[in-house]
Amino acid sequence: MASSIRESGFADAASVAAAPATARSRRWDVWRRAARARLAPLGAVVLLLAIAAAIGAPFLAPYDPLKQNLGNTLAAPGRAHALGTDNVGRDVLSRVIWGTRVSLVAGIVSVAMAVVAGTLLGLLAGYAGGRVDGIVMRLMDAVLSFPPLVLALALGAVLGAGLTGVLIALGVVYTPTFARLMRGQVLTIKARDYVDAARALGASGFQIACRHVVPNAATPIVVQASLSVAFAILAEASLSFLGLGVQPPQASWGSMINAGRGYLQQAPWIVFGPGAALFITVVGLNFVGDALRDALDPRLSR
Amino acid sequence: MLRLVLHRIAATIPVLLLVTAGIFSLLHLTPGDPIDVMMAESVDATVKENLRKQLGLDQPIAVQYLTWMGRLVRGDLGRSIRNGEPVIENVGRRIRPSLQLALFAMTISVTVAIPIGIISALRHNRTADRVGTTFALFGICMPNFLLALLLIFLFGVTLRWLPISGYMDPLEEGWDGVRSLVLPAVTLGLALAAVITRTLRSSLLEALAEDYVRTARAKGLSEWLVIRGHVLKNALIPVVTVLGLQLGTLIGGAVITEYVFALPGVGRLVVDAVFARDYPLVQGVVLLIAVGFILSNLLVDILYGFIDPRIRVR
Repeated sequence: MASSIRESGFADAASVAAAPATARSRRWDVWRRAARARLAPLGAVVLLLAIAAAIGAPFLAPYDPLKQNLGNTLAAPGRAHALGTDNVGRDVLSRVIWGTRVSLVAGIVSVAMAVVAGTLLGLLAGYAGGRVDGIVMRLMDAVLSFPPLVLALALGAVLGAGLTGVLIALGVVYTPTFARLMRGQVLTIKARDYVDAARALGASGFQIACRHVVPNAATPIVVQASLSVAFAILAEASLSFLGLGVQPPQASWGSMINAGRGYLQQAPWIVFGPGAALFITVVGLNFVGDALRDALDPRLSR
Repeated sequence: MLRLVLHRIAATIPVLLLVTAGIFSLLHLTPGDPIDVMMAESVDATVKENLRKQLGLDQPIAVQYLTWMGRLVRGDLGRSIRNGEPVIENVGRRIRPSLQLALFAMTISVTVAIPIGIISALRHNRTADRVGTTFALFGICMPNFLLALLLIFLFGVTLRWLPISGYMDPLEEGWDGVRSLVLPAVTLGLALAAVITRTLRSSLLEALAEDYVRTARAKGLSEWLVIRGHVLKNALIPVVTVLGLQLGTLIGGAVITEYVFALPGVGRLVVDAVFARDYPLVQGVVLLIAVGFILSNLLVDILYGFIDPRIRVR
């Protein structure tokens, strides 16, 4: 009970331009709440490990991820190859480490594109209102009328196989989520007194958007973005499992899993290595996203 | 109620128009000449020109769009450029396995998720709840192609209990048909079960805290009657919404599941058409899927009005 009172106080503090002292205690509050979620540190560790693997791939990978060794194919995990080798003798661990790059880049870049496009469209719709609002939001509804994977598959197909096509396709798929979120935020914030005050002081619409609306709407966008990255990573893996996305011989988790499925009986590690990496990364990102949501937006934390 | 239905149908029309326009422009998004993308370079120039004429690509784009829409309205979704058959026939041949798979998966997920969700909520923050929420997290984070391969590895390759690929029609082959659908349906159903568990758990927790529950208990109803008559009835409403919203995920999941288990369904048809660069077929099938998706969402919306009278008033 006590905590819920504090949380509602926090929500009020967030909506009023906070004095520096309040800002510090607010930040402290955020951290404390994030730490209270026991799984968040675990998620953070996973995320940091993934980022380290992605950046340090050239130094961390014990072997060249593309180098074949036809004398040592389908070798079981052991001292020389911690996760075994695949059907052409490439080191699975090295390929998993390099694959981290593709997954993180795909997750982060596609969501970043969606955040930028969605935020702008949402701002436009919420601000302009009327016919513009109608057109933009119907357009978003149309994008949402496709099952996400089917839309990504169709777009990826016409844009051509390759990471760029997949990034654009996923960016399009996730844009409506952010547009809807942003529009909703704009509509609520626009009605606040401080926006009226700013307008009375002669601020232009653009200034109000940059100074007041976007900063105040940022929290739900950040929370949604962190959760979307996890799903975008899953989606990229699904598409590269189907054969779109990064093309062989380059390593991505999804395509490694697809390549390994023919060897499930003799060499299940070809599937299990990248599979475990994918699953753990997505779980970790979910923990981080949930903790962020609980910390930044106490109203949603139930 | 009638107003709600008409309003919802009217709101669908502009979306449908935009969806068709989007699908029409798919062909024009290809970098370069779509004909060159669809056919190998070695193909004779006259064959290419014939295809261009057949698809109307030599016309101005506005004319192309109008012709295409005109045919759509008459129910002509175009033809596959690979086997020359109409899209409708291609889909018609494939729809049965897909529907069976979806139905089977939904049944599995609902039968698994509802008890887990109820137990989780009633044993809030205790061991049973932790097990339930862990299950939900697992289901949400597990990519379905990976789950499919794990199931194949465990039940197909190691234990040899179930077939790992191929399809037999349960309506014709009976038990063998059901067996051929078990692993695909479990694969497809798990993510859905996870989402239903989460939704049901949180909506039950909310409903359990309501005043009418305290009243029901105070007037001496048994706990079971309180749950069944008051709590569950209200808590199931969000589950219906989520089931509707998850339909898209289910269709996308079916694409992957049918691909992994070599089921000859509509999802597999999409993947095959994409890789055969059979764009007219891709357009036709994606359009059918999108329209099906829009219509079922419309149905869920209207159904929602029936289940929850409060919606009708708005």
